[in-house]
Amino acid sequence: MSVVQDERRCTSLVPIVNGPYNQMMSEKGKRFRSLTFTVNLVLVLALAAGVGLVMASFTLSLLSSRDLLTRSNLLQQGNIIYASIANFMLPGNAPLAVKFVGQISLSSPESTISLYRRDGVPAFSDNTTIDRVNSNLKQMKFISRPILVPQPARLATPRFKEATGNPPLEVFFREDQGGRTFFRAYRPLINLPKCSVCHGADHTVRGVIDIRSDVTAIIRTQNLTIAGGAGGFLIVVGLLAFFLGSFLRAIVLSPIRAIGSLCAKVTSGSFEGRIELRSRNEIGDLARTVNQMVGGLRERFELTKYVSRGTIGALTEGQKPIRVQRTMLFTDVRGFTAYTENHDPERVVEALNRLLEKQSEIIHEWGGDIDKFVGDEVVSVFAGEDAATRACNAARDIVRLCAMRPMDFDGLAVGVGMASGSIIQGMIGSDLRADFTVIGDSVNIASRLCSIAKAGQAIVSDGTKMAAGGDFSFKGPFGAKLKGKAAPQRVWILEVKV
Amino acid sequence: MKLRMPFPLLTVVVFLAIGCAKAPEEIYAPADYSGWARTTAVVLNYPIPGHENRMRIPRMNAKGFTALPKRSDGKVSWDFPEDTVIVKEVFASAKPAPGEKPIQLTIMAKDPTDKRAQAGWLWITKDLPDGKETVFTGNFCVTCHANANEQHPYGDGNPNEDFRDFVYFVPGEGARSLLK
Repeated sequence: MSVVQDERRCTSLVPIVNGPYNQMMSEKGKRFRSLTFTVNLVLVLALAAGVGLVMASFTLSLLSSRDLLTRSNLLQQGNIIYASIANFMLPGNAPLAVKFVGQISLSSPESTISLYRRDGVPAFSDNTTIDRVNSNLKQMKFISRPILVPQPARLATPRFKEATGNPPLEVFFREDQGGRTFFRAYRPLINLPKCSVCHGADHTVRGVIDIRSDVTAIIRTQNLTIAGGAGGFLIVVGLLAFFLGSFLRAIVLSPIRAIGSLCAKVTSGSFEGRIELRSRNEIGDLARTVNQMVGGLRERFELTKYVSRGTIGALTEGQKPIRVQRTMLFTDVRGFTAYTENHDPERVVEALNRLLEKQSEIIHEWGGDIDKFVGDEVVSVFAGEDAATRACNAARDIVRLCAMRPMDFDGLAVGVGMASGSIIQGMIGSDLRADFTVIGDSVNIASRLCSIAKAGQAIVSDGTKMAAGGDFSFKGPFGAKLKGKAAPQRVWILEVKV
Repeated sequence: MKLRMPFPLLTVVVFLAIGCAKAPEEIYAPADYSGWARTTAVVLNYPIPGHENRMRIPRMNAKGFTALPKRSDGKVSWDFPEDTVIVKEVFASAKPAPGEKPIQLTIMAKDPTDKRAQAGWLWITKDLPDGKETVFTGNFCVTCHANANEQHPYGDGNPNEDFRDFVYFVPGEGARSLLK
């Protein structure tokens, strides 16, 4: 899509962020925030939240599964070893139990299995148990062995105490040591009633099976998986945000910007442009509506050239007739009828239009309003407290222009008449055709004075001369006998130095 | 200003409140448990693993005393009915003073439908005097009581290795009537 005559200019709309449209919107008191930014922000946040939740859930699930699986696995190992040891113990084959545990540890380098007495000393590291059993059985059933470890390290951690407490509990925990990670389980060995025959019944826990599994490699693999997932998540969010953002920009944002740009142009007074958008959707319909609206505005704007400012003002402010103080300025080309008879029509119209154009510029320059053109005659109205002064300035410039550059207008020159006073402003005509114009005595006097003024002469009424102040030089007074007036009117001739 | 809560939202809130409300906890050892009959006349003041050197008095509700063992293939098998509750009073020492209150109750409640049950029983501790009952989820109790189904050093020692449904002292009257 694009706006108006320069498609590329209108589609590359980045500068419009600071353009008149945005300035206009910013005037509402709120800081302008680009819709592109907002949409992209919402997209990224929504995607990050959505995909992030999935990723977080996946990660937590992975970690939880790992822990559960390892815990279950270690405790299951503990149960198997427990059952094995119990069966070794009952027939009095405790040393076999120790050997069995050692062999299991050797067969699985990632896991170490240790047996501890309830006091934290490694099982069978001395003869305490053997002596106790022999004492309980009141016979030397087991022969003392040489002490292999004179002062074995005692395990006395809070978790170990938890495992050997009453009630004894299975304990599972993570342990980081020397840059490696272990999962560890303490499985209490219960002093069952059938065990108490040999070991005595004064304690609840015989000892603890300690299973330690090195999970460094598993955790590293999982961390890599999680990091890969997180990286993939970021890439997916980025790509989705980019593609969705581009899609939205193409479908929604760019057309809206184009519409905004066109509206900004219209606001600044330019009606040259339209939005080229072929999409059949709500935005396409909006663009077509805006095009129609701008076209209508353009037509109305063109029409304003053919009506006076007073007429336009009456359309907006009301068409009720009013009596106002105004200075009327009439100009009329002298000898125009003879001129038209001796020259080609094209040349006549061309010269007349040039002259009317220049007169219009001067009148507008001095704040006057062209009420109408009547053939070669210009009827203009000046309003305001200094209306007479500005009207005299305009008359002076018109006379001076014709005198200084006669060839620009093929030798045509105008006579000027001005009068100030009360006039009636209103819609004059029928329902089918009407003009918003002025009527009244001052209008008639200005017209009559214009008709008697010679080429290059500006005649003003006494009232206008008085109102214009001392900045102008006037000849007179003269007595002018005007049509419709019984007594001669006191008039003056504006002196114009060329 | 009158606050209005949309009806669907109100419904959701009500259902959530109902759903999240904590269900009343079942009491397994009622206040009158001390009126229940003892399961054995043996004075349990000798040390055992689990309770060590503490006096124990096991009592069972009337439902438990309706259990009758079955005999098949030369073995006696017990299956205590659902809702059987055995409360074992544990005292602070092996020789409690007359009128001394127990410090703890350990409870077996037969409820195979409860997902916390182990071997058909709920294993519960009730610390006194606060009276809070806690269902034990570890396997310590059931592991120890599994020995009741084998030969063991208590009471009659279960010489025939009858299945006694994890109870060391089954009602002697019932057993005798079957063994006659």
